[in-house]
Amino acid sequence: MNTTTRRGMIAWWLPGLAFLASPSLAQMHPERIAELEEQVSALTEQLGELSVELDEAKEAEGLGGLRKDVEANKVAIQATQSATTFTDATSVTHLSGYASADYVSVENGPSAFVANFNPMFHFLYENKILWEAELEVVVEENGETEIGLEYTTVDWFLNDNLTLIAGKFLSPIGNFRQNLHPSWINKLPSAPPGFGHDGAAPISEVGVQLRGVAPMGNSRLNYAFFLGNGPKIEGEDGEIHAIEAEGFASDPDDEKVFGGRVAFLPIPSLELAVSGATGDAAVVEDDGIDVEGDPKRGYQVLGFDASYQWNNLDLRGEYVKQEVDPNPLSIAPEGGVWETWYAQAAYKFADGKWEGVARYTDFQSPHADDTQEQLALGINYLITPSAFLKFGYESNKGEPGEITDADRWILQIAYGY
Amino acid sequence: MRTKFFTLAPVAVISAVLGLGLLAAQSPAIADDVTTTKQSDPMQFVNGSKTWANTCARCHNMRDPKSLRDDQWRAAIAHMRVRAHLTAKEARDVLVFLQQSN
Repeated sequence: MNTTTRRGMIAWWLPGLAFLASPSLAQMHPERIAELEEQVSALTEQLGELSVELDEAKEAEGLGGLRKDVEANKVAIQATQSATTFTDATSVTHLSGYASADYVSVENGPSAFVANFNPMFHFLYENKILWEAELEVVVEENGETEIGLEYTTVDWFLNDNLTLIAGKFLSPIGNFRQNLHPSWINKLPSAPPGFGHDGAAPISEVGVQLRGVAPMGNSRLNYAFFLGNGPKIEGEDGEIHAIEAEGFASDPDDEKVFGGRVAFLPIPSLELAVSGATGDAAVVEDDGIDVEGDPKRGYQVLGFDASYQWNNLDLRGEYVKQEVDPNPLSIAPEGGVWETWYAQAAYKFADGKWEGVARYTDFQSPHADDTQEQLALGINYLITPSAFLKFGYESNKGEPGEITDADRWILQIAYGY
Repeated sequence: MRTKFFTLAPVAVISAVLGLGLLAAQSPAIADDVTTTKQSDPMQFVNGSKTWANTCARCHNMRDPKSLRDDQWRAAIAHMRVRAHLTAKEARDVLVFLQQSN
């Protein structure tokens, strides 16, 4: 029997007892009346107790509601804390990168599918230190998978305008290798001749770099200076076959290479830059055999690059020359000059979903079989802002019979994630 | 003599620039207030959108702000701060714009 029911019964009992306790009855049954008065007194007392219990029960229900509210608030606070943990954490990580799959058809040669992907890692601590790295994972012609370390650097933000970089970094010489070569950024399916491996433009460097910016009103000066191990020279048949400038963790000539790039942007859409490097290099390999103790020689790089954007039009060009001096005491005594330049125009249309591209490149090497002149035309469909379906046709002119002389077309799907 | 010059000159230049940079470091890089940007100066959003439009498009298409979470944008913008020569303020403004637009 709950409190309310009991209270109701008492409410019915009391009038009845009062009737029984009326004066007429009192005169007739005085003993009975005394008994009833005692019962009324007891019931009144009981009613008072029940009223107190009922008030306590109501209060308890109110506290229960408060408890529920408190629990709900706790859950909400925990959820909020979980959400802000992502943004307020002292360190954050981010996995990004890009991937591409190509179909390449070469004039008078076999066609093939190729694929690669480049994962990139970013670990940031308190906006003061950033570690970043990129791998290059490529399926080789023989089916094996080749993994290369594109770069790995610890970036220390010294102040608002200056960053110290240490490790293996993309060469600051020119703009294509450090900013434009990823497949989801490059507007054509291939790199301009001379901007790939063993070309005229250095790929990467191992050392330290200072990278910063000097704002000047609406203009700005971007700069990067580096000190690194420098390149190695590959010999073949008593000649220099190529300059390998892909970042090595050794320095056989024991002379560091110093260089940098300074870019002036009078307006945000126009960038004019000059870059260069100087140091020493030595032959470390001849006809595939390791060479030790070959005397060092001078090494120089010079580059210019420019870019301009106007509405849907993107114009850019770049020149790089890389050379090594002769050294009569070397097993490859002659020097050499590798030189390349390209000019490129791209235009977006159909609400930016399509893009047409044209690029002309002229790559000069000491070896005729490497020299190449190329006109590349492309049409791109933008699946998303970072995913492209690219079709490119290359008209190539090189030494007759060499691969550099074969035209080719490439269908590529590229995605930056 | 030439060898020593090529060894010491770059070291001297980098040391000088580094020293000047450290002397100029009046405040920590990109400040420490960059993590939570949901309640920021409205001008940061405006400036961030301008920097985003002017700088990112110089090399690649502009990605959708919704393509990354707030925390992922922190790391991505730190990466782009180095790559695109952004000042700490520019990086912070772009981060505000992206985090408030996603």
